Amino acid sequence: MAFLELHGLTKRYGTITAVDSMTLNVEKNSFVSLLGPSGCGKTTTLQMVAGFETPTEGRILLNGRDLSAIPARERGLGIVFQSYALFMHMTVAENVAFGLEMRKVGKAERARRVAAALDLVHLSHLADRYPRAMSGGQRQRVALARALVIEPELLLLDEPLSNLDAKLREEMQLELRRIQREAGVTTLMVTHDQSEALAMSDRVVVMERGHLRQEDAPFEVYEQPGSLFVSNFLGKSNVYDARLIAADATGSRLVVAGREIAGPAGVTLPPGDVALVLRPERVEVVAPDAALIEGRVIERIFFGNQWLLRAGTPFGEMLISRRNSGRAEAAVGDRIGLGWEAHHIRVLPREEARA
Amino acid sequence: MRNGVFAKLCCLVFAAFMLAPIVVVVGVSFTPTGFLEFPPSGISLRWFRAILDAPEFIEGGWISLKLGVISATLAAVIAVPAALAIGRGRFRGREALLALFMSPLMVPTVVLGIAFLRFLTVVGLSGTFTGLALCHAVIILPFVLRLVLASISGLDRATERAAESLGAGGWTVFRRVTLPAIVPGILGGWVLAFITSFDELTVSVFIVNPSTTTLPVRLYSHIAQTTDPLVASVSTVTILFTVVLMIVVDRFYGLDRLLIGEGKK
Repeated sequence: MAFLELHGLTKRYGTITAVDSMTLNVEKNSFVSLLGPSGCGKTTTLQMVAGFETPTEGRILLNGRDLSAIPARERGLGIVFQSYALFMHMTVAENVAFGLEMRKVGKAERARRVAAALDLVHLSHLADRYPRAMSGGQRQRVALARALVIEPELLLLDEPLSNLDAKLREEMQLELRRIQREAGVTTLMVTHDQSEALAMSDRVVVMERGHLRQEDAPFEVYEQPGSLFVSNFLGKSNVYDARLIAADATGSRLVVAGREIAGPAGVTLPPGDVALVLRPERVEVVAPDAALIEGRVIERIFFGNQWLLRAGTPFGEMLISRRNSGRAEAAVGDRIGLGWEAHHIRVLPREEARA
Repeated sequence: MRNGVFAKLCCLVFAAFMLAPIVVVVGVSFTPTGFLEFPPSGISLRWFRAILDAPEFIEGGWISLKLGVISATLAAVIAVPAALAIGRGRFRGREALLALFMSPLMVPTVVLGIAFLRFLTVVGLSGTFTGLALCHAVIILPFVLRLVLASISGLDRATERAAESLGAGGWTVFRRVTLPAIVPGILGGWVLAFITSFDELTVSVFIVNPSTTTLPVRLYSHIAQTTDPLVASVSTVTILFTVVLMIVVDRFYGLDRLLIGEGKK
């Protein structure tokens, strides 16, 4: 039995279904991200676990205990809000002490635990400051300390890093993960940022329009997307309409834009119309005689550590990501040979265009 | 940002227009003569001393002070829960309720005065201080309500949820989190309401009796009979009182925030 279990969790507002029979198991001490675009139901799911929204159907079990009838204030969960939601009229130490005060923890014990929590987030020196005199990153840490000091069974993070600037966000990703490990607390995070979800989580849950689309380890979700939606949402993808003509355990054959190419082994879809997905970083620029197809560079963008090329090919436009190896890259207008290994191709069912 | 010459000129004219009556009243109050004279022909505290010999003004001042404090407090006690319900609630008739609370600003005060006079007679509070305080509370309620509403709308709902998740019950959340966050709005509204009550004349004229005559009513009836510089000196004292109050408010809250709704935070 998993530590946190969602069973057929559903939330309807009138005729709109925000979360549709969501079932999920979260293991103890793991870090799980709910990832998806806005409106996918991830925040509503978190709100139901927190106790701020009542599920229309389904159950939430935490450590075997059904949370349905337990109000938010008795669930004993640590929650970090997107806006941090600090008590602006209290000092940092008072903010952190609030939850302990509510639990009627004695003064000495309280002081000790507040100090330990502030130490965990490296804020001991700012205990007597007011939040308004602090930076976004520091406020974030206060919010984290305040949530962790009550030693919650479950830590809920609602877009915790979205209000920070890019550089600080990357630092906090590592920091948050360190704190989560040290505190040893099962964590459920909501985010719309795929790199954040991939970098921080043990498991990523991709949601779309109220449905759980895929749940897996970050590497697996990225490498083995179960649908075009997941593939497009996590990282960049080149997607082409293709026809699957043969598939067995050793390989497959696909037809794209009138050309027959080799595909990966183990495709279980029936022959017919499929979508072919190729990650930009799996496409190589090769000598013309070794190329599978030829392309002409339309656009070239430099990111410092890598280049992104956009090329016109017989398949259609293709994005190619190249590590910056210190040499000049192909320029706009150049003809380049493109190749890839068959096992880097993903074959997915076609999806109807969604409204 | 730099202002143009025209904008500066407009500000100057406006300021002069606002300040001129005050300058005249204060100037007149220092006259040594027995009639309203501006500019005064000398400096004398004669008419300030005269206040001490006019107990009806001192008594009126106390009544107005007491009335202001009680009615502003009463209005604040009503306005806070009302503002929470209106600002937070999603119930039918919310708009209508707000309009009802704000209506004393719209209804002509003469009409209100007549209505209150009749109403107090019906409920048996005519001529009482209680009746007067209740009527003032109604008139000044919009001022408190508006400022408390503004502070509630600026409140992050998540802070209350955070407190809840940390184990606080409904009353504790209100007392420890919501209330401290809206206290500036309540205090600001209270002061505005107090000042409004303190110099309210039109409604009061209808409903005071000799034992509850407020300072503005006293001044009004005084100048209806005679015009001596005593009214000017009494006015100067009330102006001074208001200025001191404003300075105190500015110190603790910030006038710009009170009157414009933003500023130091």
